[in-house]
Amino acid sequence: MLEIIDLHKRYGDVVALDGCTFEVRPGRMLGFLGPNGAGKTTAMRTVFGLVRPDQGEVRWNGEPVDADTRLRFGYMPEQRGLYPKMKAHDQLVYMGRIHGMSKKDATAAADHWLDVLGLADRRNSPTETLSHGNQQRVQLATALVHDPDLMVLDEPFSGLDPIGVDTMAEILRDQARAGKAVVFSSHQLDLVEDLCDDVAIINHGRIVLAGNVKQLKDAAPIRHLELEMDGPVDEVLAALDGVRSSEVVDGRHIVVVDATTDVRRVLVEAERSGVVRHFVYSSPSLTDLFREAVA
Amino acid sequence: MNGLRAVGLVALREIKERGRSRAYIFSTIFTLILLAGVILVPRMIDGGGTTYTIGVVGEGGAEIVETADAASVAAAKDPEEADRYEVREFDDIAAAEAALEEDEVEAIIVDGRELVGGPAGAFGGSDVERVLQQAAGTRRVQDLVASNEEAAEVVELLSSEPLAVRRLGGADVEDQAVRGFVAFGGLILMYVAILTYGAWMLSGVTEEKTNRVVEVLLSTLRPWHILGGKLLGIGALGLMQIVLLIVMGAVAVVLTGAFDIPRVPVDSLIALIGWFILGFLLYAIIYGAAGSLVSRMEDAQSTAGPLTIIALIGYFFSFAALNDPTGTVAIVGTYVPFSAPYVAPIRLAIGEISPWEMTLSVVITILTIVLLVRLAGRVYAGGLLRYGARVRWLEAFRSAE
Repeated sequence: MLEIIDLHKRYGDVVALDGCTFEVRPGRMLGFLGPNGAGKTTAMRTVFGLVRPDQGEVRWNGEPVDADTRLRFGYMPEQRGLYPKMKAHDQLVYMGRIHGMSKKDATAAADHWLDVLGLADRRNSPTETLSHGNQQRVQLATALVHDPDLMVLDEPFSGLDPIGVDTMAEILRDQARAGKAVVFSSHQLDLVEDLCDDVAIINHGRIVLAGNVKQLKDAAPIRHLELEMDGPVDEVLAALDGVRSSEVVDGRHIVVVDATTDVRRVLVEAERSGVVRHFVYSSPSLTDLFREAVA
Repeated sequence: MNGLRAVGLVALREIKERGRSRAYIFSTIFTLILLAGVILVPRMIDGGGTTYTIGVVGEGGAEIVETADAASVAAAKDPEEADRYEVREFDDIAAAEAALEEDEVEAIIVDGRELVGGPAGAFGGSDVERVLQQAAGTRRVQDLVASNEEAAEVVELLSSEPLAVRRLGGADVEDQAVRGFVAFGGLILMYVAILTYGAWMLSGVTEEKTNRVVEVLLSTLRPWHILGGKLLGIGALGLMQIVLLIVMGAVAVVLTGAFDIPRVPVDSLIALIGWFILGFLLYAIIYGAAGSLVSRMEDAQSTAGPLTIIALIGYFFSFAALNDPTGTVAIVGTYVPFSAPYVAPIRLAIGEISPWEMTLSVVITILTIVLLVRLAGRVYAGGLLRYGARVRWLEAFRSAE
């Protein structure tokens, strides 16, 4: 289990981390969410010793993380880092070897991952000649080649086409199923909701919400309400109390209300004054939780 | 992971990737061709003598030309390659002058008394005038000797052997010439090597930072693994080129006989290689640290600017050492670490450095390198992960552990 405990980091006047604490458990996937500049990348880099925290520590299975522990970690940084002129296969072998693998094992693992990622025929292509999506695949492979126990991926889905997203998601899911601890940051909340067991939401360097996605939704003090109707919809909704936020998407009103709000009255009122085409009352979506948490 | 294994892996990657790059292969081939050119071309131009045709009108001229020819053959190391002088007789001056204007002859001797040349450039530019004048003089002395016994004795006295030359320190004159050549060649080589391999170091470090590989590397390797591995890898590639160059150069010189070498100064060559290693480390460590301070290739040269100037100053120091190997500049240059790699091997090549001076110079340089590994290593560690504007040296130094 990866424990990130009370990390503080400040760059001059800028506070990057302000008591950031969360954990990633083996066999589970954690979505690490937060607005831009909230401290996601700084927190992830701390795990790899790329940032030295002013305070706090990172533990793996109860022990402070050191260089040897990190050999069992895989990292995909936000800014992709590959040698442009090095062949894809050589690159993976090198990454495997600097993580302590023998040449033989590293070669076999590199072949395996190029195969899985559909890059077997680009084995000996310099990475700079690969398409953006394929470079991203090679980058993912560099984080996987040494079969790490923990994977930390900074925005792994950004810039991928839908097929690439599916491949990436499938691989990450497999890793979690195989018992690895997986944490990745993303702004694609639907994807995270679909993929992750747990989330941690960071804002201004502090975790503002963390835990199992389903439990968080159920326990949230807010509810998600959608209404589409023919009739005086604004008047109907005006009767609601405890409204947190509302928006109109394609003529459908989406409202976040307090969990204590009695919405049956609204449904009754709506049916009385018009024709209801669409009505949903549910636990909040991850997007709702996120907005609520960072508001 | 074992630190040495990590350094080895980084070095190995550097050697493999850089060593098979076109740039490395071409630069190796190019320097070898250049070297072959420097050694072989003068040889080819020099090879084989020129035959000069001298026009002769009237009596006495033919004998002078024959004397000149004989003297030239006698003076040459290899009679096959001596300049030759041959006679072409003319009946009158007008015909001879016409031939001179057509460049059919180099000069005309009239009645054994007058030398007629073409326009200044053609005539004055060659040795022909001097050779013929000397031959005319020799001819007159020979005539005199033939008719006078006392004169023969005077000539005997005058033509005695010149003084034999010997220098303290054992090196004879020719050896000295070879050593001078080694010193000068070594100096140029050292300068080019330090700047070239320093630039590789600089761009290699900046490149890793620019394309952000360094972030992945640093997630498992310590900064000193990367810096050390790079130094080792680039140093090995550089050393390979230098040794290849020196060995090929020595072989070419011996084979072609471009120099009349009594023996190859092996001690100088070995010292040169040793000093190359020290000089490379000394400069490349700082170049590496400089490379870590910038995020873009375009900024790299400007950070390295001051260092290049220091290398240049060391280079000029060594010219002073070449001229006056025991002068103040040479002595000071021997103990200043940044000029020592230039000055010390030059002084050794010329044979003007004592063993303790050399030892002290090596020790000072090694101590400086050790110190630099710590200082520059820390700057490197601090600079690597700071992106954006150029990081200042002190700032990088402070931000590291």
